[in-house]
Amino acid sequence: MSIHKAGRRLMHDVPLKFVRKHVTGGGGRGVNASLSLTSMIDFLVVTVVFLLMTFSASGETPVSKGVNLPKAENTLDMIDAPIVSITGSQVMVDGAPAGNTRAIEEAKRLQRVDELFNILKSKRELWKTTHPGKDFPAVVVLQVDQEVQAIVVKSVFQTAAFAGYPNVSFMVNSIPKTTH
Amino acid sequence: MGGVSVDSGGKGGRRALDSEINMIPMIDLLMVTISFLLITAVWSHMARLNADAQVPGPPQPTELTNVPPEKQLHIEMRGADKFVLIWKQSGTVISTVDVPRKDVVTVEGTTRVVRFPDLAAKVASEWNTVATHKSESDTKFDQAILHTDNETPYGAIIGVIDAVYQVHRPYKKGSKVESMPAFNMTFAVN
Repeated sequence: MSIHKAGRRLMHDVPLKFVRKHVTGGGGRGVNASLSLTSMIDFLVVTVVFLLMTFSASGETPVSKGVNLPKAENTLDMIDAPIVSITGSQVMVDGAPAGNTRAIEEAKRLQRVDELFNILKSKRELWKTTHPGKDFPAVVVLQVDQEVQAIVVKSVFQTAAFAGYPNVSFMVNSIPKTTH
Repeated sequence: MGGVSVDSGGKGGRRALDSEINMIPMIDLLMVTISFLLITAVWSHMARLNADAQVPGPPQPTELTNVPPEKQLHIEMRGADKFVLIWKQSGTVISTVDVPRKDVVTVEGTTRVVRFPDLAAKVASEWNTVATHKSESDTKFDQAILHTDNETPYGAIIGVIDAVYQVHRPYKKGSKVESMPAFNMTFAVN
């Protein structure tokens, strides 16, 4: 095997010099290419503006684990009120245990949930003490899984009403209105 | 790279007039802002459907004594095949209408959404013919009361309440005419 002079070998067999120069990328073009940042900055600014407009400073209303909320179209905005959630057979008020609904499910009749009643009543008394002279809003929000039976919802609803919260709201996931 | 050239257009000086604004900190800031906003974004929108228990409140000093009882729409959801719409006034039945139950079920994500468009249409036509509070200057609601059996799933109850709240009517707020739900919903425990 003969010894060759050191140098470029790749695409050396392309016969025409001007074609070889073209395909091997040779020529007078500079190695440094400047990148236009204007469109990228425009895109970033538009994204920031969109996200700022849709940003909610109040945060998300906590949904208990295991609760699959139903969806509805004709809804109202959420309000600040005690949240009574029913997860399985466990009743909770603002995340704290407040009895269970097993007895209601077994008996299949309307019953008061005593622990829930006492907690709601004490919350009401506390509100009245901390807001003297103001009208009590008497609102409670029910956070219930969509498969829970009506008898359980009725029992919790009635317990809340008897504890001084007759204005009951049902928490749902809001969906856009459809045209029928 | 990463700079914007600003040609000041000067002539004859010793220092170069073509300076660059460093864009990298600005891009970094935008990226961090976007990351923060994306992480803290709330994509599911919680909302509520209002209902009340019709419990009498404390006596008001200016309470009216001779107020005629209002008409109320009772929605019976006890059968698997039909709804019954009953207009009552102080216990007297004014009219009764049967509405065939047609559940329109769609699955959105993991949630089964039940809608009752036929019921919504019938409630709207009933409100047009029987309801009391129709005037644009009247801001009171007509009352609808939902009765269900004990086994009905909560998702279906929400479907019915949503159908009733679909009926809207105009009302005057100052010089503007706005839209409000025609009914206020009560969930009966019997």
